[in-house]
Amino acid sequence: MADYDRDRRQNNHRGGGGGRKRRYRDDDDYDRRPQRRRYEEPLFVQVRRQLLTIAESAARRVEDDIVGIAKSVADHYEDEELRDTLVNISLDLVLEQPMKIPFVAAVTLATHNLKPELSAEVLKKASDLLQKHIDAGSWREVKLLIRFLGSLQAIFEGDGIFPLLEEFFARAADLQSASSEDLLGLELVKVILFTIPYVMSSPATGFEAQASALLEKTDIIASTPHALVDLVNTFSPDENKEAAGPSVIGLMQSQLQAEAGQGWELKCLPRPWKSAQEESEEQKPFEIVTKVPFPQITVPSSVPNGPRPLFPEVYLSVYSGQEIYTVPPISDISSSILRDALVDTINLLDFNRVATAKYLIDIDCYFTPYTFVKRATPFDRMRDLAGEGQSWKPEDVAVDAVFSQLYQLPTPEHKLVYYHSVLTECCKIAPAAIAPSLGRAIRYLYNHLETMDLELSNRFLDWFAHHLSNFGFTWKWSEWVENLELPAIHPKMAFIHGALDKEIRLSFAQRIKGTLPEPYIPLITEGKEKDTPEFKYLSEMTPYSKEGQELSQLIRKKASDEEIQPVIAAIEEQAQGLGVSDPKVPSTDAFVTAICYVGSKSLSHVLSCIERNKDRLLAVGADSPAARGQIITSVMDYWADQPGIAINIIDKLLNYTILSPLSVLEWALTSSIAAGTILSKPHIFEMISATVGKVTNRMRQIVAARTQTGLYEPQLSVLDETLSRERVEMQALFKFIEDAIFSVAAGSNDEMMERGDGSGDLPEDAILRQWGRRWLRVFRRKAGVEEAFINDALDRATPVGTEGPRVDGDVQIDDAEFIE
Amino acid sequence: MSLLEVNTVDRLDRPSAYYAGKNKRRRDDREDREPEPTDKLKGATTLYVGNLSFYTTEEQIHELFAKCGEIKRLVMGLDRFNKTPCGFCFVEYYTHQDALDCMKYIGGTKLDERIIRADLDPGFEEGRQYGRGKSGGQVRDEYREEYDPGRGGYGRAYDEQRQREEDEYGAGR
Repeated sequence: MADYDRDRRQNNHRGGGGGRKRRYRDDDDYDRRPQRRRYEEPLFVQVRRQLLTIAESAARRVEDDIVGIAKSVADHYEDEELRDTLVNISLDLVLEQPMKIPFVAAVTLATHNLKPELSAEVLKKASDLLQKHIDAGSWREVKLLIRFLGSLQAIFEGDGIFPLLEEFFARAADLQSASSEDLLGLELVKVILFTIPYVMSSPATGFEAQASALLEKTDIIASTPHALVDLVNTFSPDENKEAAGPSVIGLMQSQLQAEAGQGWELKCLPRPWKSAQEESEEQKPFEIVTKVPFPQITVPSSVPNGPRPLFPEVYLSVYSGQEIYTVPPISDISSSILRDALVDTINLLDFNRVATAKYLIDIDCYFTPYTFVKRATPFDRMRDLAGEGQSWKPEDVAVDAVFSQLYQLPTPEHKLVYYHSVLTECCKIAPAAIAPSLGRAIRYLYNHLETMDLELSNRFLDWFAHHLSNFGFTWKWSEWVENLELPAIHPKMAFIHGALDKEIRLSFAQRIKGTLPEPYIPLITEGKEKDTPEFKYLSEMTPYSKEGQELSQLIRKKASDEEIQPVIAAIEEQAQGLGVSDPKVPSTDAFVTAICYVGSKSLSHVLSCIERNKDRLLAVGADSPAARGQIITSVMDYWADQPGIAINIIDKLLNYTILSPLSVLEWALTSSIAAGTILSKPHIFEMISATVGKVTNRMRQIVAARTQTGLYEPQLSVLDETLSRERVEMQALFKFIEDAIFSVAAGSNDEMMERGDGSGDLPEDAILRQWGRRWLRVFRRKAGVEEAFINDALDRATPVGTEGPRVDGDVQIDDAEFIE
Repeated sequence: MSLLEVNTVDRLDRPSAYYAGKNKRRRDDREDREPEPTDKLKGATTLYVGNLSFYTTEEQIHELFAKCGEIKRLVMGLDRFNKTPCGFCFVEYYTHQDALDCMKYIGGTKLDERIIRADLDPGFEEGRQYGRGKSGGQVRDEYREEYDPGRGGYGRAYDEQRQREEDEYGAGR
């Protein structure tokens, strides 16, 4: 940019041109190469940098930097810019890089002893922000600000932060006793629980009794599992009780209680306020010269829910059940403390995945030195280290946290692809360290495919293929070779098939074939390698082959509907003669297959074919449900070898309203259910999820329109009616899914019963019933989440019947005149 | 998502220096000043996507970019003369947020095993789907000195020159 500016200036003044190579101004008085401008960095810039990068370098002693920053600012107290830098950057870091909170707090503590006026400004800003976020219901931000203030407990008079925590608890208790379904209360308890360790690891002493008293109170709320926990668990307890994770707050509660019994050791949390010089001597307690009152914070009697829908959280580790621990077990409070700090870092920094990845890789800078083993320590080496003092593998702890978000139910804070990109970036920064960790994570997930929540196993599939696409599609496929013997409907086989298909979608069949060991080659069928699948009407053996070919030619030359109609009529006539019950079915097959064939060159080709023949397609669907089903069949059959393209076309047909969401569901879950075997196909799950997603998105848009502020009658009633109508439709859709899949899950599906001996007890039937149960769980949860969303939104919406503020006619005229 | 106005690390969802620079030149040349270039990107839903392989298909692009939201339109960049893909495209989303997320999560990652680039764009206009290079492709492919198998080998201008030299050599001069 800078170079460019110089060039441009030069070009202008020389009349343009010829200056391309010149890097410097060629004025006469500038005949020597200019030296780098001597530049004294202002102090605030220096402090700003020191503060922003605090604790980032393992080569420096963070304790020295902390004292250094505090001294610089205190010594130049009159420098307003410098003061503002300290105050603003400190709180920016608290809210954006939570792993640095103990270090930022240590700077504030040091400043406080040097210049209490300065720390007063930090406290003022912190409490203003805290008040703002409490009023907005941004509970994560509240948690981080309270953590910061809690780390400063030593400078407060009396009980410091505890009365505020008590007040939080009082609100939580009210909410919980008002409703057993309450989730906001759990959020408040979470804030309390995740504050306590930071208070107890701060230089403040003598608060054990307060902490224990608080824990005794939170126990009843934190330890009682919320009704929704099972629904958002990575594993349904019905499928795999052992693997189902504990709730985050329940876990933290028990870990804190254990920690209270061990004198609040809190091994992993840094104490950077411990003075650097006295390291070898007996530590003196950190002394605070002047104490100040805790800032005035008002917790409203009715606390707001906040911008994000709340759900209980479950603790997931993809490294559980290993022969040796590489991440802290759930009996160790480090598991919760590290996870919480990492998860917030990941979710707060979504605007720079490279920075996120860097902080994840540098995790060992932000906790005590004995928390982690050296970076990139191989797994086998961990075995030798296992005995002594238990340290964890930093890469595993970091990767585990990303997966916990990728597999967050019902949805993580950001788009899934963000978490993909963080893992990609981690792999780019430290490939040798991260790749083996990912490998073990993949093995865990793969080995738990049968019982994992179905939505999550599909997220796994999607991530896996996307991740490999960033790293040359290399994976040790050989280790799963023996699973190729499994039946096609087995979840592991479904995963292998699905993953290869997704890889091909991001690349092409031949390329993927080249990455696979011999036994997998047959999975890449000849059909997958064809850019243009065969057009069945080219074979004389296909009924209506002449008409099919004719249609393809007509579509190719963009013929008008009048030219197409006689060919369609010819097929229908023949079909009638052959006794076909719905002659529109074979004519639709020929028509849609021809569109797919002519449009096979690319997505935009098929879209323009559909667009040109939209009216006919719309009419077909409206006329005959069987023909509408045939549209889907034709697309799916034509692209049978490349299902990704098929479902993409189905998606566009839904946008054109040529297909209705219900017709797609009926096609998959009734006509093509095949005794439940269709439920094992990942692309079908993808298609159904996308279709349901369209309906729920639309529903949410209507809800947003209905709940916007400043809306009055008559619009309120109009929107409310639309909402009620669409809501009924959405419910019907979910009901349809429930009924269709329930029969598979219960083993009472007609086709299932008709197979074999009619007992519904063939060896594969158990697998099919399990697919049924896993599908049910996903769509029941989706239905529940949407219902809760709508109810919640309507609770806060302007009630129907609210009239606009009365406008006085005279005033209006006056106004009008005034404007003129 | 961070709620801060100024962040502690750089954001990846800002328009590139290329966009700002390109528009600056244009603005200075004219008497009547156009609106600030970055203003035109407020609410932008389109991305310019660069450094694609000539062989990357619409389906592949769709597969990756749909991870940030439903795609409204996909326009492949074509060689002005051959009407074949020449290594760039425009992806249009329904919402501005999806476009920003795409810059953050997809720009700089790989598609078809190449690091692709995504830049916020004020919107596709007819004509912009064609390469602006002399030979019909993108300008950057005219004078490229490295061999890039995904983008037609060496730069075309050099390629021409090399071809000429070879012909002349063959003719015995």
